[in-house]
Amino acid sequence: MIKQRKTLLGLFLMVLVVCMTACAPANDPAGTAAADASGPEIIRYPVPDDATVSFNVWFKVGSQNDPAGKEGLAALTGSLISDGATANNSYEQILEKLYPIASGYGVRVDKEMTTVQGRTHVDNIDRYFPLYSDAFAAPAFNVDDFERLRSDQLNYLEKTLRYASDEDLGKAALMSHIFAGTPYAHPIQGTVQGLKSITLDDVKAFYQQHYTQANAVIAIGGGFDDALESKLRAAVATLPAGTATTAPAVTPTAIDGRQVMLVDKADADASISFGFPINVPRGTRDFYALWIANSWLGEHRNSSSHLYQVIRETRGMNYGDYSYIEAFPQGGQRQMPPPNVARHSQIFQIWIRTLPNENALFATRAALRELTHLVQQGMSEEAFTLTRSFLRNYHLHFAETTQDRLGYAVDDRFYGIEGDGHLAQFGAMLDSITREDVNAALKRHLQLENIKFAIITGDAEGLRDVMVNDTATPMSYASEKSAEIVAEDKEIEVVPFDVDADDVTVVPVTTIFEQ
Amino acid sequence: MFRGTDRYPADAYNAKTTEIGADTNAFTSDDLTAYHLSITSNDLETVMDLESDRFQNLAYPEELFRTEAGAVYGEYRKNRTNPFFTLFEATQAAAFDVHTYGHTAMGYEEDIKLMPELFDYSKSFFSRYYRPENIVLMIVGDVDVTKTMDRVKHYYGAWKPGYVPPKIQPEPEQTAERKIEVPYPGQSLPIAMVAYKFPAFDPSDPTILAADILADLYFGETSDLHKKLVLNEQVAEFVAADTPMNRDPNLLSIFSRVKDAEKVDYVLAEIDRTIAQAQTELLDPERIAGVISRIKYGFLMGLDTPSGVASSLVRFIAVTGGVADIETMYTTYGQVTAEHVQAAAKQFLAPERRTVAVLRGNN
Repeated sequence: MIKQRKTLLGLFLMVLVVCMTACAPANDPAGTAAADASGPEIIRYPVPDDATVSFNVWFKVGSQNDPAGKEGLAALTGSLISDGATANNSYEQILEKLYPIASGYGVRVDKEMTTVQGRTHVDNIDRYFPLYSDAFAAPAFNVDDFERLRSDQLNYLEKTLRYASDEDLGKAALMSHIFAGTPYAHPIQGTVQGLKSITLDDVKAFYQQHYTQANAVIAIGGGFDDALESKLRAAVATLPAGTATTAPAVTPTAIDGRQVMLVDKADADASISFGFPINVPRGTRDFYALWIANSWLGEHRNSSSHLYQVIRETRGMNYGDYSYIEAFPQGGQRQMPPPNVARHSQIFQIWIRTLPNENALFATRAALRELTHLVQQGMSEEAFTLTRSFLRNYHLHFAETTQDRLGYAVDDRFYGIEGDGHLAQFGAMLDSITREDVNAALKRHLQLENIKFAIITGDAEGLRDVMVNDTATPMSYASEKSAEIVAEDKEIEVVPFDVDADDVTVVPVTTIFEQ
Repeated sequence: MFRGTDRYPADAYNAKTTEIGADTNAFTSDDLTAYHLSITSNDLETVMDLESDRFQNLAYPEELFRTEAGAVYGEYRKNRTNPFFTLFEATQAAAFDVHTYGHTAMGYEEDIKLMPELFDYSKSFFSRYYRPENIVLMIVGDVDVTKTMDRVKHYYGAWKPGYVPPKIQPEPEQTAERKIEVPYPGQSLPIAMVAYKFPAFDPSDPTILAADILADLYFGETSDLHKKLVLNEQVAEFVAADTPMNRDPNLLSIFSRVKDAEKVDYVLAEIDRTIAQAQTELLDPERIAGVISRIKYGFLMGLDTPSGVASSLVRFIAVTGGVADIETMYTTYGQVTAEHVQAAAKQFLAPERRTVAVLRGNN
């Protein structure tokens, strides 16, 4: 749209990255890194024709570093940096100064990383840069900002996540189920009691400890010059030298069989996520092999997804059905994988979008059946060839802007991917990986025995009974289906869940993420 | 539209768009439906072949229509947990008696439920609207214009006209304030919305464009009201205003999520006080210049990818019929004065034109 306007429906989300508009297309190779003994590493991604400059300062800290009982501290610190005052400007003044240049900056806090991202037009660099650099180098941490933003974050947990976004709640519940007892378990926004116990002094201490040169990697892209790069380095150099933050161990308990968390929410339709941990780091050959298989099974929000074809296209049961081998936050809003949510602990997961409770377990069974076929039989030559062709072009959409490419370059450092980086490597891997590689990777990394399920539902009791007793769940449709589909449905309706009664937990929505 | 033609049945269409790695999707809003594909330039002809075929020759059996209608209800189910969707849906329904803006782009739930029965109507809908004189084909990116136009003529040239404009009843003038309470089944902070009937978009009318400036400077992030309610008193999580850009008169909405349920009336009173202020004072011209600067840079920074250009232009084209009026609009923005902003407040923000809606959660 031409006019600057807010979208009503967008406002219900608490998005940790604020006002990030898209950036310029980049034709250069992946960013070049320069190690500098006198300061943090810098990633440069010059695009001389770009009329904008993109900034990204990565701090190696995330919600996994929240102290026990203070869950939400990393996110709240990030919010105070992106949406609070600095030593030189009140928050009102910052908004007034950013307004005429249509620019902003935001802080994305994820499990393991925090990135302070910004972008502006080259005409406005002199007005913009001091605001951006002050945000992370000189935050004021005012008590008014603290109260305001903590209240917003609490509202997100208590109201929005619990009641206004069942699909996000399902995904958050699955993470808490799989990573129970680890620093990955709580949502990035924290827990209700954790947030309530956080003080402004906690925020200041967290910032002092983690927003240091030792934890920082600097990235700059677009139409910048040497002088601007020096200014950015100088801004980061004002941070304390510090020591590198130690990443806590994140080792999920091995899943024993099929385990189910039902989130009991009155009158809710069903929103379903299920999966298990995998250890296939980005950059490894198996990662790309598994990506091909996963793209065929469930490419995010794409009608090429096989699960989408089976559940939505053929049966019209819901809005879409997808699978993942890497974290994909904000999946309801984004089309392409987000940068700067890099994690060392990943899960394979299937996401079945909202559908009536009476159809929930049929859809789950359909997805389980497709996963079983894929793992046991592997990809067909036809599916492999088609998906490889798809990804050759589709992966070019992952990072169309300078800002996204800068984000990917940061992630390359996180994963230790050398050379031209993940996106360039992607194309080369597609040329060399064979169907046999893919099918071997499937056998090595995906399995059917040990799975955790999270389902938001208004019929927890009914779903529990069906899963524990493996009751058949026949489907009925508004239209006549072909004999082939009817026959397939007969198989799907009795796919076993193999769930013991002891392995079903029912959590009232009123208490989820309370502490 | 994703259910295929005789030449390219759904499976064949999907296989082709999959093979070329296209990023494909579609959306519908009040005044337009857009189908978009982001592709490599090498695949442009393939896509023109596919798209010109389905826009001219879409054919789907009733069974497939019924199945897709089920997926639409799934989308509605997904949306309805969002309190903003609930509020917006209820406010549109309360504000409009006869015009189709009375429902959201998804339609009324009763109609969505009945949709599997409307196969014949869907065919008639396609036949009336999917006609060349009602469609703009936009191709953005690395293209040779002359050669591309030649291909456009080749693939789309035989498309037969036959657009039948819809007979949408004009909404009668609203003469009295309307008030509704909107219950929300989940827990939610209250959301207050004050929605005024607002004219159809006209890029040459400075008073209509002045409403954008009014919305931003009196209800946006740099407004006194934002400072008071959000930053200083912290009684609201946010306050915002949205001006419509529609073919027919729609709603200019001012809304706020209120942190304390007891303070809803106070926030509504503060909105009224701000409107009265806008109707009586004249803005500092420097603040107006700031909005113009923001609009300019926001527009420029959005034009950085082919998809960005396409999505920046599509609504404008749908409402005005072309891109020429973009120049008109920016020229008009440049002419907006403090007097225009004041006139917009007086003309459009009159109590008898509005619907006041308050959503409250089941807390």
